[in-house]
Amino acid sequence: MNGVSGERVLLLRHQGRLWGVLHDAVRTVTRGHDGFRVWLREGDITADHVLGVIEDLRVWPADGVLARFWGEKVGGLAILGTTPVVVVDPSSPPAIFRSVSGPESSAEPASDSDLGPDMGKTP
Amino acid sequence: MPVSPADTAAGQSGGVAPADDRYLLVQAGDEKCALPLDRVRRIVRSLSVTPLPGASAELKGLAEFGGEPLTVLDFSRLLGAAPGASPAYPVTVIAWAGPDESHELVGLQVDAVLEVVSVPADNIAAGGDGIVRGDVSLGGEPVRVISLSVLGSVG
Repeated sequence: MNGVSGERVLLLRHQGRLWGVLHDAVRTVTRGHDGFRVWLREGDITADHVLGVIEDLRVWPADGVLARFWGEKVGGLAILGTTPVVVVDPSSPPAIFRSVSGPESSAEPASDSDLGPDMGKTP
Repeated sequence: MPVSPADTAAGQSGGVAPADDRYLLVQAGDEKCALPLDRVRRIVRSLSVTPLPGASAELKGLAEFGGEPLTVLDFSRLLGAAPGASPAYPVTVIAWAGPDESHELVGLQVDAVLEVVSVPADNIAAGGDGIVRGDVSLGGEPVRVISLSVLGSVG
């Protein structure tokens, strides 16, 4: 694959898989009663765990074959150790991420804030 | 057990066939298929794959190969082949897919790698524009001749 770039990525675990979100696309992260909510520039996603921020993670573009056989838009692909990581497209996260917002939790936090202390280290 | 195309080609008997006529014969479900050898980069034991939610049946998932992400396809599903016996030593064929000008590496999970064969183009009965380029008879058995150049975002 061509077009590999080093990115700052927020690493998540959700439904047993590793996922990434480009750090620049993240506004803030809040903890809910059943996991985490990651607020993006456009909407939000849920995650079972927030693992940390990885600096300079090599992200490959998601090429044609994956796009042909997987209906989700993908921001890129990465490898952590030997485990594949899907870097989500913040404008169109995979369906598995779309949050089921309850009326008490659907409001975005009043202001952006730094990521919490449990998110500053790689796993 | 990485095997390079050069290694696999060395095992064939007889004269040296033109590179374009050489194929890697694989078993995928109940089908025997001939993959163009010049598209094969490596053959490895079946890679550990991370499935993707909501993916089509042909997409096994993602794997790591050489430190890079690799899309892995279930080749028998891709062909619509009936499942064969449980393979004793399933393998992943790492191959270049897509047109020459924009090809990418993919993993093709197959049940077995059989041998390298020579198939002159004249012997191939044309099969269409899809991934199955045509059919040929080898040793009295039907073999599907594969084109990996059409395996990409379209087709």
